[in-house]
Amino acid sequence: MEQTLSSRSLTVGGALVVALFLMILPASAHHGWGGYQDEDFQLSGTVESPVSLAGPHATMKIRAENQVWDITLSPPARTERAGLKEGVIPVGAKVTVFGHRHRDPKRFEVKTERVNWNGRLFNVYPDRS
Amino acid sequence: MHGFLAWMYASALGHFMRESGPWTYAIVNLAHILGVASLFGSVLILDLRLLGVWRRTPLAVLTHVAVPVAAGGFGLATLSGIGLLAANATEYVGNPFFYVKFPAIAIGLVNAFVVSVSPAWEAASGTRELTAIENRQLALMGATSLACWLTAIGAGRMIGYW
Repeated sequence: MEQTLSSRSLTVGGALVVALFLMILPASAHHGWGGYQDEDFQLSGTVESPVSLAGPHATMKIRAENQVWDITLSPPARTERAGLKEGVIPVGAKVTVFGHRHRDPKRFEVKTERVNWNGRLFNVYPDRS
Repeated sequence: MHGFLAWMYASALGHFMRESGPWTYAIVNLAHILGVASLFGSVLILDLRLLGVWRRTPLAVLTHVAVPVAAGGFGLATLSGIGLLAANATEYVGNPFFYVKFPAIAIGLVNAFVVSVSPAWEAASGTRELTAIENRQLALMGATSLACWLTAIGAGRMIGYW
Protein backbone atom coordinates (compact mmCIF):
# COMPACT_ATOMS: atom_id res chain seq x y z
CA MET A 1 0.00 0.00 0.00
CA GLU A 2 2.68 2.44 1.06
CA GLN A 3 4.69 1.35 -1.97
CA THR A 4 1.92 2.10 -4.48
CA LEU A 5 1.15 5.41 -2.80
CA SER A 6 4.68 6.74 -3.02
CA SER A 7 5.16 5.55 -6.61
CA ARG A 8 1.91 7.21 -7.55
CA SER A 9 3.02 10.44 -5.86
CA LEU A 10 6.24 10.25 -7.84
CA THR A 11 4.35 9.80 -11.11
CA VAL A 12 2.02 12.71 -10.41
CA GLY A 13 4.89 14.89 -9.19
CA GLY A 14 6.95 14.01 -12.26
CA ALA A 15 4.09 14.86 -14.60
CA LEU A 16 3.70 18.21 -12.85
CA VAL A 17 7.36 19.06 -13.23
CA VAL A 18 7.24 18.17 -16.95
CA ALA A 19 4.12 20.31 -17.40
CA LEU A 20 5.78 23.27 -15.69
CA PHE A 21 8.90 22.97 -17.86
CA LEU A 22 6.76 22.86 -20.99
CA MET A 23 5.08 26.07 -19.89
CA ILE A 24 8.37 27.82 -19.23
CA LEU A 25 9.95 26.92 -22.58
CA PRO A 26 8.31 29.47 -24.93
CA ALA A 27 8.84 32.33 -22.46
CA SER A 28 11.24 34.41 -24.49
CA ALA A 29 9.39 37.18 -26.26
CA HIS A 30 7.71 40.34 -25.02
CA HIS A 31 9.12 41.08 -21.58
CA GLY A 32 12.66 39.92 -22.24
CA TRP A 33 14.80 40.96 -25.18
CA GLY A 34 14.53 37.61 -26.97
CA GLY A 35 11.60 38.77 -29.11
CA TYR A 36 13.63 41.66 -30.49
CA GLN A 37 16.38 41.79 -33.07
CA ASP A 38 19.95 41.62 -31.82
CA GLU A 39 21.06 44.52 -34.03
CA ASP A 40 20.80 48.07 -32.70
CA PHE A 41 17.89 49.99 -34.16
CA GLN A 42 17.45 53.75 -34.37
CA LEU A 43 14.31 55.65 -35.32
CA SER A 44 13.45 59.34 -35.55
CA GLY A 45 9.92 60.66 -35.61
CA THR A 46 7.38 62.92 -33.97
CA VAL A 47 5.55 62.07 -30.77
CA GLU A 48 2.07 60.84 -31.65
CA SER A 49 1.03 59.72 -28.18
CA PRO A 50 2.98 60.96 -25.15
CA VAL A 51 4.87 58.93 -22.56
CA SER A 52 2.52 56.85 -20.41
CA LEU A 53 3.76 55.41 -17.13
CA ALA A 54 1.08 52.71 -17.09
CA GLY A 55 2.42 49.21 -16.44
CA PRO A 56 3.89 46.78 -17.06
CA HIS A 57 6.12 48.94 -19.29
CA ALA A 58 6.07 52.66 -19.91
CA THR A 59 5.14 53.39 -23.53
CA MET A 60 4.82 56.11 -26.12
CA LYS A 61 3.98 56.23 -29.82
CA ILE A 62 5.92 58.07 -32.48
CA ARG A 63 5.17 58.66 -36.14
CA ALA A 64 7.95 58.09 -38.62
CA GLU A 65 7.45 58.09 -42.40
CA ASN A 66 3.66 57.84 -42.04
CA GLN A 67 3.92 54.82 -39.78
CA VAL A 68 3.03 54.88 -36.09
CA TRP A 69 5.51 52.94 -33.98
CA ASP A 70 5.00 51.53 -30.50
CA ILE A 71 7.89 52.60 -28.31
CA THR A 72 8.21 50.23 -25.37
CA LEU A 73 10.28 51.70 -22.54
CA SER A 74 11.46 50.20 -19.25
CA PRO A 75 9.06 49.58 -16.33
CA PRO A 76 7.30 52.79 -15.19
CA ALA A 77 9.38 53.47 -12.07
CA ARG A 78 12.66 52.97 -13.94
CA THR A 79 11.55 55.16 -16.84
CA GLU A 80 10.62 57.85 -14.34
CA ARG A 81 14.02 57.55 -12.59
CA ALA A 82 15.63 58.17 -15.97
CA GLY A 83 13.88 61.56 -15.93
CA LEU A 84 11.32 60.57 -18.53
CA LYS A 85 8.15 61.53 -16.66
CA GLU A 86 4.73 61.91 -18.20
CA GLY A 87 4.38 65.29 -19.90
CA VAL A 88 8.11 65.97 -20.23
CA ILE A 89 8.12 65.48 -24.01
CA PRO A 90 5.22 67.28 -25.71
CA VAL A 91 3.11 65.72 -28.44
CA GLY A 92 4.49 66.59 -31.87
CA ALA A 93 8.07 66.90 -30.60
CA LYS A 94 10.80 65.33 -32.70
CA VAL A 95 12.55 62.49 -30.92
CA THR A 96 15.08 59.80 -31.74
CA VAL A 97 14.88 56.43 -30.03
CA PHE A 98 17.62 53.81 -29.76
CA GLY A 99 16.89 50.17 -29.05
CA HIS A 100 15.89 46.98 -30.77
CA ARG A 101 13.12 46.36 -33.27
CA HIS A 102 10.61 43.57 -32.84
CA ARG A 103 11.66 40.42 -34.70
CA ASP A 104 8.32 40.30 -36.51
CA PRO A 105 8.73 42.73 -39.45
CA LYS A 106 4.95 43.27 -39.50
CA ARG A 107 5.10 44.70 -36.00
CA PHE A 108 6.27 48.28 -35.68
CA GLU A 109 7.58 48.17 -32.15
CA VAL A 110 10.91 49.25 -30.70
CA LYS A 111 12.01 48.02 -27.29
CA THR A 112 13.80 51.19 -26.38
CA GLU A 113 16.94 51.73 -24.35
CA ARG A 114 17.41 55.47 -24.85
CA VAL A 115 15.31 58.42 -26.00
CA ASN A 116 16.85 61.64 -27.32
CA TRP A 117 14.74 64.77 -27.34
CA ASN A 118 15.87 68.34 -27.73
CA GLY A 119 19.45 67.54 -26.72
CA ARG A 120 18.37 65.57 -23.65
CA LEU A 121 19.13 61.85 -23.41
CA PHE A 122 16.83 59.67 -21.33
CA ASN A 123 18.62 56.41 -20.58
CA VAL A 124 15.73 54.17 -19.55
CA TYR A 125 17.89 51.03 -19.54
CA PRO A 126 21.14 52.30 -17.99
CA ASP A 127 22.41 48.73 -17.48
CA ARG A 128 22.32 48.19 -21.26
CA SER A 129 25.01 50.36 -22.82
CA MET B 1 -15.10 40.94 -27.35
CA HIS B 2 -13.32 43.98 -28.74
CA GLY B 3 -16.19 46.23 -27.65
CA PHE B 4 -16.08 44.83 -24.13
CA LEU B 5 -12.30 45.27 -23.91
CA ALA B 6 -12.56 48.83 -25.25
CA TRP B 7 -15.17 49.54 -22.57
CA MET B 8 -12.86 48.06 -19.90
CA TYR B 9 -9.95 50.18 -21.15
CA ALA B 10 -12.00 53.39 -21.05
CA SER B 11 -13.54 52.63 -17.64
CA ALA B 12 -12.71 54.57 -14.48
CA LEU B 13 -10.76 51.53 -13.30
CA GLY B 14 -8.72 51.53 -16.51
CA HIS B 15 -7.88 55.20 -16.05
CA PHE B 16 -6.98 54.64 -12.42
CA MET B 17 -4.68 51.73 -13.31
CA ARG B 18 -2.85 53.79 -15.93
CA GLU B 19 -2.77 57.21 -14.31
CA SER B 20 -2.25 56.77 -10.59
CA GLY B 21 1.52 56.54 -10.46
CA PRO B 22 4.29 54.25 -11.64
CA TRP B 23 3.80 51.63 -8.90
CA THR B 24 0.07 50.96 -9.29
CA TYR B 25 0.39 48.22 -11.89
CA ALA B 26 3.24 46.57 -9.99
CA ILE B 27 1.30 46.49 -6.70
CA VAL B 28 -1.89 45.15 -8.30
CA ASN B 29 0.26 42.59 -10.12
CA LEU B 30 1.70 41.56 -6.75
CA ALA B 31 -1.81 41.05 -5.37
CA HIS B 32 -2.63 38.95 -8.44
CA ILE B 33 0.39 36.71 -7.87
CA LEU B 34 -0.47 36.27 -4.18
CA GLY B 35 -4.03 35.37 -5.12
CA VAL B 36 -2.93 32.87 -7.76
CA ALA B 37 -0.34 31.36 -5.39
CA SER B 38 -2.95 30.88 -2.65
CA LEU B 39 -5.44 29.42 -5.11
CA PHE B 40 -3.05 27.06 -6.83
CA GLY B 41 -1.21 25.99 -3.69
CA SER B 42 -4.39 24.86 -1.99
CA VAL B 43 -5.94 23.42 -5.16
CA LEU B 44 -2.76 21.41 -5.79
CA ILE B 45 -2.99 19.77 -2.37
CA LEU B 46 -6.69 18.99 -2.82
CA ASP B 47 -6.26 17.64 -6.34
CA LEU B 48 -3.33 15.41 -5.42
CA ARG B 49 -5.43 14.04 -2.55
CA LEU B 50 -8.29 13.37 -4.97
CA LEU B 51 -5.80 11.61 -7.24
CA GLY B 52 -4.95 9.25 -4.42
CA VAL B 53 -1.91 10.81 -2.75
CA TRP B 54 -2.00 11.04 1.08
CA ARG B 55 -5.01 8.73 1.23
CA ARG B 56 -4.53 8.21 4.96
CA THR B 57 -5.22 11.89 5.55
CA PRO B 58 -9.01 12.30 5.70
CA LEU B 59 -10.27 14.48 2.84
CA ALA B 60 -12.40 16.46 5.30
CA VAL B 61 -9.26 17.57 7.15
CA LEU B 62 -7.73 18.94 3.94
CA THR B 63 -10.91 20.57 2.62
CA HIS B 64 -11.45 22.32 5.94
CA VAL B 65 -8.24 24.31 5.46
CA ALA B 66 -7.65 24.28 1.70
CA VAL B 67 -11.07 25.28 0.36
CA PRO B 68 -11.25 28.66 2.17
CA VAL B 69 -7.67 29.48 1.10
CA ALA B 70 -8.50 28.53 -2.49
CA ALA B 71 -11.67 30.63 -2.47
CA GLY B 72 -9.91 33.61 -0.91
CA GLY B 73 -7.07 33.32 -3.40
CA PHE B 74 -9.51 33.12 -6.29
CA GLY B 75 -11.29 36.25 -5.03
CA LEU B 76 -8.04 38.20 -4.71
CA ALA B 77 -6.83 37.02 -8.12
CA THR B 78 -10.16 37.96 -9.72
CA LEU B 79 -10.33 41.44 -8.21
CA SER B 80 -6.70 42.27 -9.03
CA GLY B 81 -7.02 40.59 -12.42
CA ILE B 82 -9.89 42.89 -13.42
CA GLY B 83 -7.61 45.84 -12.66
CA LEU B 84 -4.70 44.41 -14.66
CA LEU B 85 -7.05 43.65 -17.55
CA ALA B 86 -8.54 47.15 -17.55
CA ALA B 87 -5.09 48.77 -17.63
CA ASN B 88 -4.30 47.53 -21.14
CA ALA B 89 -7.53 45.78 -22.14
CA THR B 90 -7.45 46.57 -25.85
CA GLU B 91 -3.94 45.10 -26.21
CA TYR B 92 -5.28 41.61 -25.63
CA VAL B 93 -7.40 41.51 -28.79
CA GLY B 94 -6.01 38.66 -30.87
CA ASN B 95 -3.73 37.33 -28.14
CA PRO B 96 -4.25 33.54 -28.37
CA PHE B 97 -3.27 32.88 -24.75
CA PHE B 98 -6.03 35.26 -23.64
CA TYR B 99 -8.60 33.03 -25.34
CA VAL B 100 -7.15 29.93 -23.66
CA LYS B 101 -6.91 31.36 -20.15
CA PHE B 102 -10.51 32.40 -19.54
CA PRO B 103 -12.22 29.26 -20.88
CA ALA B 104 -9.80 27.24 -18.71
CA ILE B 105 -10.89 29.25 -15.66
CA ALA B 106 -14.55 28.76 -16.58
CA ILE B 107 -14.13 24.99 -16.92
CA GLY B 108 -12.14 24.92 -13.67
CA LEU B 109 -14.99 26.69 -11.86
CA VAL B 110 -17.64 24.37 -13.34
CA ASN B 111 -15.50 21.39 -12.35
CA ALA B 112 -15.14 22.72 -8.79
CA PHE B 113 -18.91 23.11 -8.63
CA VAL B 114 -19.47 19.57 -9.94
CA VAL B 115 -17.02 18.22 -7.36
CA SER B 116 -18.75 20.07 -4.54
CA VAL B 117 -22.20 18.67 -5.36
CA SER B 118 -21.07 15.13 -6.17
CA PRO B 119 -22.22 12.31 -3.84
CA ALA B 120 -18.59 11.12 -3.69
CA TRP B 121 -17.43 14.46 -2.25
CA GLU B 122 -20.29 14.42 0.21
CA ALA B 123 -19.40 10.90 1.32
CA ALA B 124 -15.70 11.76 1.54
CA SER B 125 -16.46 14.40 4.14
CA GLY B 126 -16.73 11.50 6.55
CA THR B 127 -20.21 10.06 6.27
CA ARG B 128 -19.21 6.68 4.79
CA GLU B 129 -16.56 4.69 2.93
CA LEU B 130 -16.16 5.55 -0.75
CA THR B 131 -16.75 2.96 -3.43
CA ALA B 132 -14.04 2.25 -6.00
CA ILE B 133 -16.10 4.03 -8.66
CA GLU B 134 -16.44 7.10 -6.46
CA ASN B 135 -12.71 7.14 -5.86
CA ARG B 136 -12.17 7.08 -9.61
CA GLN B 137 -14.71 9.89 -10.08
CA LEU B 138 -12.90 12.03 -7.53
CA ALA B 139 -9.55 11.25 -9.17
CA LEU B 140 -10.92 12.24 -12.57
CA MET B 141 -12.28 15.52 -11.22
CA GLY B 142 -8.98 16.17 -9.43
CA ALA B 143 -7.08 15.62 -12.68
CA THR B 144 -9.51 17.90 -14.54
CA SER B 145 -9.03 20.59 -11.90
CA LEU B 146 -5.25 20.36 -12.09
CA ALA B 147 -5.34 20.54 -15.89
CA CYS B 148 -7.65 23.57 -15.85
CA TRP B 149 -5.68 25.61 -13.33
CA LEU B 150 -2.30 24.72 -14.84
CA THR B 151 -3.65 25.75 -18.25
CA ALA B 152 -5.12 28.98 -16.88
CA ILE B 153 -1.90 29.94 -15.09
CA GLY B 154 0.32 28.85 -17.97
CA ALA B 155 -1.71 30.73 -20.57
CA GLY B 156 -2.05 33.70 -18.23
CA ARG B 157 1.69 34.00 -17.86
CA MET B 158 2.21 33.64 -21.61
CA ILE B 159 -0.20 36.51 -22.40
CA GLY B 160 2.57 38.99 -21.62
CA TYR B 161 5.05 37.21 -23.84
CA TRP B 162 2.95 37.18 -26.99
